[in-house]
Amino acid sequence: MAPTPDLTPAMRRSVSDRSLACLLLAPTIAVLFALTIYPLIYSIKISLQSESGNWTLQNFTRLISDHFFLSALAHTVVYAAIALTFEFLIGLGLALLLSAQMRGRSVFRSLLLVPMMLPAVVVGVVWRLILNSNFGALNGTIKGIGINTDALTWTGSPKLAMASVIVADVWQWTPFMFLILLAGLQAIPQEPYEAALIDGASGWQTFRHVTLPLLKPAILIALLLRTMDLLRVFDQIFILTEGGPGFATETVSLYIYRTAFRFSNFGYAAAMSFVLLLITNVISVGYIRFLRTNEARP
Amino acid sequence: MKKIAKYFVLLFSLAAALLPVYWLITISFKHEVDQFAVPPKWFWFTPTLEHYADAFVTRSFGQYLLNSLFVAFASTACAVVIGTLAAYALARFRLPANLDQRLALWILSTRMFPAIVTAVPLFVIMRDLRLVNTRLSLIVVYTGFNLPFVVWMMRGFFAEIPRDLEEAAMVDGDSRLGALRRVVLPLVTPGLAATAVFCLIVSWNEFLFGLVLTQTDAAMTLPVGIAGRVTQYGIKWGAMSAAAVVAMIPILAFAMSVQKYLVRGLSLGAVKG
Repeated sequence: MAPTPDLTPAMRRSVSDRSLACLLLAPTIAVLFALTIYPLIYSIKISLQSESGNWTLQNFTRLISDHFFLSALAHTVVYAAIALTFEFLIGLGLALLLSAQMRGRSVFRSLLLVPMMLPAVVVGVVWRLILNSNFGALNGTIKGIGINTDALTWTGSPKLAMASVIVADVWQWTPFMFLILLAGLQAIPQEPYEAALIDGASGWQTFRHVTLPLLKPAILIALLLRTMDLLRVFDQIFILTEGGPGFATETVSLYIYRTAFRFSNFGYAAAMSFVLLLITNVISVGYIRFLRTNEARP
Repeated sequence: MKKIAKYFVLLFSLAAALLPVYWLITISFKHEVDQFAVPPKWFWFTPTLEHYADAFVTRSFGQYLLNSLFVAFASTACAVVIGTLAAYALARFRLPANLDQRLALWILSTRMFPAIVTAVPLFVIMRDLRLVNTRLSLIVVYTGFNLPFVVWMMRGFFAEIPRDLEEAAMVDGDSRLGALRRVVLPLVTPGLAATAVFCLIVSWNEFLFGLVLTQTDAAMTLPVGIAGRVTQYGIKWGAMSAAAVVAMIPILAFAMSVQKYLVRGLSLGAVKG
């Protein structure tokens, strides 16, 4: 870049640029402030006030002894851990299968992505139609081959309900893992593979020592984003089971929703939401830090 | 042999991904006697449009559909206009003390909030403002939802346009904003269109805020209307499936049109509300 011979107009421009920048940024900052920062401050206020308006910590002390909250937290962690594992493994398998050039690849890729694009409500309806114990497609098919399905009540059974909502999540979000990992695989250059071939590495060795390390950034991104979404899961479970039967599939988001909008206890709901915020925040800080180091590299 | 196994696995996955959706579509076109026949009727049944008529003429799903369209397009327009301006500023101007970088990260971090965390206070605030059960409340909330995403997507697209182009236009006498409109915007149009489509998808699919902020027919969106039917007793499966199919079609059409940008969009949190 050549130095500008005359500095004054450039300097004048940089001052006017700065005020223009502020003008362009102002609406975004105002909207985001009104819709995230202000509600958060409001949330802190209602979580620290009792119904009569006195300042109190009771909403936070109640958290520790609330068995419903603790078990909702446990459900959320179980749900997230199992769904994440399956989504990652199946997604990685599919991405590896489709990473090599083959006939019909782009068609496979597009069609495999369909579940991910659907509104959560539609996913809920789809799985209700399949899992309904009396007339769902799944039990209908099993009955058709002559097996008794009386015990298979899926979303209606305390034991199978969690598995049912996890299946629906895995069905919808495995394509997400698949897509991010496939993009990661396609960004890996050919040379390391050629080197591995010359060294006589086996398929597994190549995967373990070439593919996995080079795929690590994509894996991290996919896992972080999915983990955040899984920890705040609400929509599909709300439509499939509403947290039931009983309390079997109640996650933190559902319990917060119920506390606020069924029992009108906004203060306690706000207190619980801070716990959820804290957990997802730790993860998103990791994500943003990761994104920043990646941005700085090129 | 290996190749056959590979195609077998792929076809199996494809069936797993698509058969549930296919099942939904057939239910929406089946007479009630066929809907829950044992064994299930996958292919041969007499199709009917009665459930579509039932959902969209007899019941209020037509109104929900209009609400969804209105809210999705209005909030997308707001988010794209406001966010693109901010994105341009962040892509082109260096602010003192790295403020531009920090601001960009702060904007992204607001996208990472769990929806339920802001849903609780926003409901109380909207109630106090008497905005509950209005489409305006959803437009405002969805605009905020999509803004960080627009800013980050568009910031990336602007960064790909060489500065020299605008500087040349400015030497020719254009103002900064004139150069943006005449030179830069036409170049980022494909990216802008993709960003808008992502916003439409998010607003169209959003459920939690719709559920919390709208309870009347006048404002309720399609997903909330469908969910209301699901969780009641005596579900009309046909009408519900018909409504779900209608909720799904525009999304699939949109999604096909942004395939190229999908990876970039998804890593910035598109699709999922």
